[in-house]
Amino acid sequence: MKKLIATLSARSPWLYRINAGSCNGCDVELLTTACIPRYDVERLGCKYCGSPRHADIVLITGPLTARVKDKVLRVWDEIPEPKVTVAVGICPVSGGVFRGGYSIEGPLDKYLPIDINVPGCPPRPQAIIEGVIKARDVWRARIGG
Amino acid sequence: MNDILPALFHMLVFPGGLFAVAAGLLLKGLDRRVEARLQRRVGPPLLQPVFDLIKLAGKETLIPATANRAAFLTAPLIGFTGMAVCAALIPVSGAYSGLAGMGDMLVLFYLLPLPAIALMVGGSASSSPFGALGFSREMCLMLAYEIPLLAVLLAVAMRVGAAVGGGAELSLSAVAAHQIAHGQFIADPVMWPAFIAYLLFLPGTMGVPPFDVPEAETEIIEGPLLEYSGPALGFFHLTSALKSVVVLGLGVAMFFPAPVPGGAFVNVLWFLCKCAGLMLVSLTVVKSATGRFRVDQAFTFYLRYPAPLALASLILVWQGA
Repeated sequence: MKKLIATLSARSPWLYRINAGSCNGCDVELLTTACIPRYDVERLGCKYCGSPRHADIVLITGPLTARVKDKVLRVWDEIPEPKVTVAVGICPVSGGVFRGGYSIEGPLDKYLPIDINVPGCPPRPQAIIEGVIKARDVWRARIGG
Repeated sequence: MNDILPALFHMLVFPGGLFAVAAGLLLKGLDRRVEARLQRRVGPPLLQPVFDLIKLAGKETLIPATANRAAFLTAPLIGFTGMAVCAALIPVSGAYSGLAGMGDMLVLFYLLPLPAIALMVGGSASSSPFGALGFSREMCLMLAYEIPLLAVLLAVAMRVGAAVGGGAELSLSAVAAHQIAHGQFIADPVMWPAFIAYLLFLPGTMGVPPFDVPEAETEIIEGPLLEYSGPALGFFHLTSALKSVVVLGLGVAMFFPAPVPGGAFVNVLWFLCKCAGLMLVSLTVVKSATGRFRVDQAFTFYLRYPAPLALASLILVWQGA
């Protein structure tokens, strides 16, 4: 029974985006490309939501700059459990082209538990969709499937 | 006691409660799927709203520290109960004739704003500035779309009343019965303006584009719903599903209630088909083809087009055309 509920729940992953000082390359890939008809993530039951309180899977882009660090951590805290965190692009992992910059507080996993990394600068839409599917599997395992 | 048990059955099982929830969720799923197809996407499975609800039931409910706890948590229930009662008042021709003798059109008119009021209470209790913005927008929009609704209801009631001997017939089951016997209002030119007004009223009351002003997720990040999570948010989605059955069923009962030959089961399916047809025309196509009005544009739109149309029908009926 618990397994069935987990399986059904995992068919409705709502996505939330956090921009942690990204250059907007990954955001454009997330926002436009993953939403347009060609790549349609809604077929997986996904929905981009405007409020962190509605989210299940959070997609974080950017190298975590000093200016946004506190805000990112605060918004991440507002997402109700159980949640899955996906780092999109190479910036959250390594800082990418911004690595070593005076304003970079990353890598992100010093502060948040990252479940999935989607590498690329920026990653292709197909890679982002695969990341979402992997995140969904992690989420299903987390709620007991 | 003998009256209460069937009434409870009608509110909790059919056509209110369970049946309306199932029908509403199916309609929502169909809506999302057809919208996706209109945009050349694959779209979510038909049962997506059910998955969403199961998911939300298992999530954590977060309550903002500064929120008014009691109002924040009861608001979703107000809208839900209001709509569950409403659904029991909708006649399903050939299967169910509505809770007779309750002046149900007036009751419906008073209960229909409940989900919007629940949103306003929840939004303002959440202590979020976006909730407050959503409150004022919802209020503004509601004042605008209630006017055409009232005129449409009156036009229908007086059209039937004039035929059965003066006054207004405020029982929805009598309205449906009259149309089954004397021809449906959708084929009656005098009622066409009122029907168009009702079609324009639907997207406003359901809060879909171009009238999703109160919940505009790209401007005021879902407004009143912003702070809701988990089961409480699920209740708002359930209310919206129930409300779609109520307003679509009301449209069916007022304009084309005729049943098809066959048993009650066939007629329930026929009723759902008619609701789905009305939904596709007035909600799905409209919302996948439009952007969003500003709140003042939405307000003036309702006063400029649906209200005069509905009043035109009302005046024609009143003059005995």
